[in-house]
Amino acid sequence: MTPGPMTPGMTAAQPRPATGSRRAGLAGLGVIVLGWEALGHLLGGTFLLAPPSAVVGYLVENHALMGRALAATLTNALAGFVLGNLAAIALAALALIWPAAQRVVTGVALVIFCLPLVATGPILRVLMGPGDGPQIVLAALAVYYTTLIPLLVGLRAAPSSWFDLVRSYGRGRLAALVHVRMRAALPYLFAGLQIAAPAAILGAMVGEFTGAERGIGVLTVRAMRGLDVEMTWAIATLATGVAVMAYLGIGLLARRVLTDAPPMILAPPAEPRGRSAGLAAALLGAVSVLAVVVLLWGGGLALFGVNPFFAKGPEDVLAALFWQPDAAQTRATLGEALVETGVLLIPGYLAGLIAGAGLAIAFTLLPRLAITAMPLAIALRSVPIVTTAPLIVLMLGRGAVGTVALVAVMVFFPTLVACLHGLRQTPGQVTDVFDSYAAGPLQRLVRLQIPAMLPAFFAAARMAVPAAVLAVTVVEWLATGIGIGTLMALSASVSDHDMLWSAVALVAALSALGYAAVGAVEARVLHIYAPEQSR
Amino acid sequence: MVPDPAAPPGVVCTGLAKTWAGGLVAVRPTDLVLKPGQTTAFVGPSGCGKSTLLRMIAGLEQPSAGHVLIDGKPPAETLRKAGLSVAFQDPSLLPWRSVRGNIELALSLARRPVNRASVDQLIALVGLQGFAEARPAELSGGMRQRAAIARALATEPQLLLLDEPFGAVDELTRQQLAQDLPRIWEARGTTTVLVTHSVTEAVMLSDRVIVFSPRPAEVIADIAIDLARPRSAQDARQPRFAALVEDVFAALTRGAALRDAALAAQ
Ligand SMILES: Nc1ncnc2c1ncn2[C@@H]1O[C@H](COP(=O)(O)OP(=O)(O)OP(=O)(O)O)[C@@H](O)[C@H]1O
Ligand SMILES: [Mg+2]
Repeated sequence: MTPGPMTPGMTAAQPRPATGSRRAGLAGLGVIVLGWEALGHLLGGTFLLAPPSAVVGYLVENHALMGRALAATLTNALAGFVLGNLAAIALAALALIWPAAQRVVTGVALVIFCLPLVATGPILRVLMGPGDGPQIVLAALAVYYTTLIPLLVGLRAAPSSWFDLVRSYGRGRLAALVHVRMRAALPYLFAGLQIAAPAAILGAMVGEFTGAERGIGVLTVRAMRGLDVEMTWAIATLATGVAVMAYLGIGLLARRVLTDAPPMILAPPAEPRGRSAGLAAALLGAVSVLAVVVLLWGGGLALFGVNPFFAKGPEDVLAALFWQPDAAQTRATLGEALVETGVLLIPGYLAGLIAGAGLAIAFTLLPRLAITAMPLAIALRSVPIVTTAPLIVLMLGRGAVGTVALVAVMVFFPTLVACLHGLRQTPGQVTDVFDSYAAGPLQRLVRLQIPAMLPAFFAAARMAVPAAVLAVTVVEWLATGIGIGTLMALSASVSDHDMLWSAVALVAALSALGYAAVGAVEARVLHIYAPEQSR
Repeated sequence: MVPDPAAPPGVVCTGLAKTWAGGLVAVRPTDLVLKPGQTTAFVGPSGCGKSTLLRMIAGLEQPSAGHVLIDGKPPAETLRKAGLSVAFQDPSLLPWRSVRGNIELALSLARRPVNRASVDQLIALVGLQGFAEARPAELSGGMRQRAAIARALATEPQLLLLDEPFGAVDELTRQQLAQDLPRIWEARGTTTVLVTHSVTEAVMLSDRVIVFSPRPAEVIADIAIDLARPRSAQDARQPRFAALVEDVFAALTRGAALRDAALAAQ
């Protein structure tokens, strides 16, 4: 073991940004702003791009309107942030008290996380009426999973000898929870909260797209409809700035509270000790998850006595897909939409992964560049890319390129940060061994650093699945008019609730399966390259 | 007769054995009687099962056969009263607590009052004065081990179990600690078990050295150390001391030969 009480899960800790790298990051930001300004003037007449000066001008001029909208959005985002994270903590506590339930808890949590916000938004709007309800719920839905996963890791991250210590003084599980687990989980909780802060803003904004009265999401829709380039850019800049600040603010708080920095990579939680991990267990888990989801879905609708005209239960969806006279037609429509989406989603997802990992590798060969890029990438990772969807549509058009680019960008930044991080994790002593054989940088990269990067890469690839689905459905809904996102939006507006709920169920199931599939590949890779993480 | 609760306990192991879940036999059935107030050293080759035995005595590991009685009662009873402490082979300090914080945590886990002055005194005793507020990450490996020893002593246990407490400490500090620390537990009459890889240290610190065979652990020698106390570094030059060290070495060598013979017979 390394000297010092490092725990396996903590190995992926963020380094404190040195002042040097912070300065480099600021310099990089400056270059970007200048380039943006120049480009803005070059493309002045093309209605594509507003330069920073125009954005600032717009924000100053309309500061009262913008301020009110931002306050409304942030209030809802905060409420959702609190609710979502409390839910995550409660679920993690449940999995801790009742380890047998962990697989089902995380599975159900994943399926709910994979519900397409684009559809849950309008559904919640119908169920909850006007007001802040849908925004808050969507914000909570956008955050809880990314807190739950690191928290589950953190609560089991302490080495067993710490628990032996507690036991050796005759104390039990409660004392271990208070003195060891809760404190050991704190960095992981902060890692989740840090990702949650921008995600909550994103959730609130998507909620506002569905017909709220106030908020910057409402203004986004208005700006897009009116093709108001300056306003679109101003809102995107504002949303980005606020999200980055929320992300950095929680990072700052974490550094105050913690002695060690929060982990950067959302590693998958290990199965609690003594649980089998075979195929049979996985199948049983999947079946239990399905059963609980169906139970929650049907039971929830019955419990709240929701109007069956727009609230469809599992049996309604099955009927719509298989038994009703027009079932074949429904299936064909859904299939067509899914293909339209998949054709753009999968290339975008893969492009984002390849670009992220490729750039990270390039950076390790050019370390000077990495110093500038890392802080910028960390900041940009927190950008709720979806809020910039209107910009990408403005610049790249409503065609395939815009959608693929948006998905790729959504996947790119988290992958880049995770891979840079993974590349840095190569243990020092092993590097020394390689140096002692006078291995060149390329040798070292291929034999040492890329294998060390793989766990981080796959963790990012797994978390990117729902993010990519979110990105593609939002851009389809807001702009391109094709695919499953548009189908859901259209069904909502023409009250074809059978179609809407079928699409939601299908999208959630497919993204959860995609996540699980990447997770399965990840587990195999971890087993080979990082056995200590795959226990 | 009711035993005095403050008196050091005797430890009786009867047929104590451990086979790990995979079928790996770590400890063969072992009978041991540790007298109250005595210091016993366990020596044996790496991986032979010393830590496993120690953890079974502490009640932290379930024996697969046999049982342990501390003062005639199962270890759980002693644990409940926080009547023993273990200095684990890896120091197991909580990284977010300072040296003082770690010691104070042990006191509060054991439900003992926290007395700042006596904590300071302990920290000084293990040579960590000036590092009371340092976090484990800021300490060297040996300093961490010393902090762990201070923590084990803080609760004034009647049974003290030390697993290679001086493993990462340099030779001079080691001698110094071997001088100073036993005074504490001897003065309190603590029953002590010490696992060590240093034969001289075993002889210097204990009343009795038990030598184990290579895994699975089996007692191959039980050597009484009849040197007068208190002992000092000079005692190591006495011929009697050298003879005892020689005895322990001979037993260890015999153990290794035993295994080689067993291998050859296969
Ligand atoms: N939790 C465990 N599960 C399975 N096997 C274990 C476990 N702990 C120890 N072992 C095995 O039991 C044997 C004895 O281990 P133990 O730690 O008791 O050795 P030791 O004598 O203390 O060695 P050292 O002097 O190197 O500390 C070893 O072969 C080890 O691999
Ligand atoms: Mg040991």
